[in-house]
Amino acid sequence: MPEIVVEGVSKTLGGMLTLGGVNLKAGDRDFAGILGPSGCGKSTLFNIISGLMRPDQGRVYIDGLDVTGRTGRVSYMRQKDLLLPSLNIVENVSIPLALKGMPKKRACAQAAAHFKQFGLDGFEKYYPSQLSGGMRQRAAMLRTYLFSSDILLLDEPFASLDAITKRKMQAWLIEVFNAISPTVMYITHDVDEALYLCDRIYVLSACPTVVKLEITVPFCRPPHGRTIVDREYGVIRDKVMEALEI
Amino acid sequence: MISRAVVSVSMKRSRITADIFIPLGFIILLLVGWEYIVKLRSIPDWILPGPVQVVRTFVDNAPLIAKHAQSTMIECLAGFALAILFSFIVVFLMDEISLFRKALYPLIIASQTIPIVSVAPLFIIWFGYGMLPKIIVVVLVCFFPIAISLLSGLAAVDNDYLELFRSMQAGRIKIFRMVKLPLAMPAFFSGLRISAAYSVMGAVIGEWLGAKQGLGIYMTLSQRSFQVDRVFAAILAVTVLSAALFLLVSLIERVVIPWNRLNEK
Repeated sequence: MPEIVVEGVSKTLGGMLTLGGVNLKAGDRDFAGILGPSGCGKSTLFNIISGLMRPDQGRVYIDGLDVTGRTGRVSYMRQKDLLLPSLNIVENVSIPLALKGMPKKRACAQAAAHFKQFGLDGFEKYYPSQLSGGMRQRAAMLRTYLFSSDILLLDEPFASLDAITKRKMQAWLIEVFNAISPTVMYITHDVDEALYLCDRIYVLSACPTVVKLEITVPFCRPPHGRTIVDREYGVIRDKVMEALEI
Repeated sequence: MISRAVVSVSMKRSRITADIFIPLGFIILLLVGWEYIVKLRSIPDWILPGPVQVVRTFVDNAPLIAKHAQSTMIECLAGFALAILFSFIVVFLMDEISLFRKALYPLIIASQTIPIVSVAPLFIIWFGYGMLPKIIVVVLVCFFPIAISLLSGLAAVDNDYLELFRSMQAGRIKIFRMVKLPLAMPAFFSGLRISAAYSVMGAVIGEWLGAKQGLGIYMTLSQRSFQVDRVFAAILAVTVLSAALFLLVSLIERVVIPWNRLNEK
């Protein structure tokens, strides 16, 4: 059962206490949002969960296993697409499979099977520079998905896109989420995006970062994709805004 | 839609016109001016021959020049290939092992301050009048631009790429081969183009000081006998060789990294 538990994680970076004992949990098929002011160590948190960085204190459990400081269980998707300009899209996306030892041809075929779902149908042989920003982000997400299909860590995946593309991508993400139902941790500093997408939101404080507010969102992911009309929306939004000191 | 296509074609045509005909016209203008001055002031051939005389000498001596050019070209290509090989080995070690980088970087930069004409005679003392000392000069001239461009290309790779691949459990060699090397290729090729143009010059400098055959020695001998038209003919040959090598590298670049041209658009 895919589940991420972050337990009392703290980390000092460059002499500054960045994370001051963070506790988070994303259960099976949860869509957990992480909201916080910029520079509050959200990306450090993902580096620790994915095993790239070792916390000074605390542990990370995935599926109940202690994976603190060990890579290989989950990778995460960043704001930058980080596709290699030297490879076409299908080759780029199949990299995690190839790195796991699958022969290139099979890896490409397996990656190509997901292209329709990720809205990349027909663009297999295109190079990243020939694609729009939204498509490149979808390709980057497919690559993340192919590394670990049950857990997705997304670090402001749509932050570099324009508002209209961003809205479309959010609706598309909901569609994909409903189809593959993974456990998601989603970093953002867009309150409305968090309220639109997430089941649960963790609001982080400024440095040293701790969880300031944990809140459950009852009206998340409306299928119509339009404005959410709910009396509680304003109440929850204000609570989140208050926690963010806006 | 149609009108836009027409506009873009005509724009493309006008750009080609600008890129080719303007510099070509300027060169022709210069040559005509040169010929005119030589004729007008009746400057003797042993001081300054006109372009027409240079071309005539070039054509008359074509077999001899071709023979010399052949040696120069062999030295060039051998030196160029060795320089690429060495710079790859050295740069790989410098990039992967910081001890190497710290030890070698200042040395490589400092080596550029040594005038090549001052060390070239030493190679003749040590290795004789054959091709080897010339090849060494070419290697020395070409190594620096290639190594530095490759090194900076590798250093410029976004750290996020490396972290992403590390999180997907790619090893160091795999990261180097899959991520760093391809991303550094455009920088590498720009260094390669520069040294392609330098390499012929390196070989000629090597030959000046003494050789059995080559455009450099042909130049020196012609100069000593005041056959200035032959010197110019040799210069013409050097220019043609350099340009050919430059074009060859550009062609290889298109084949090796076709994706780079998409990025430039």
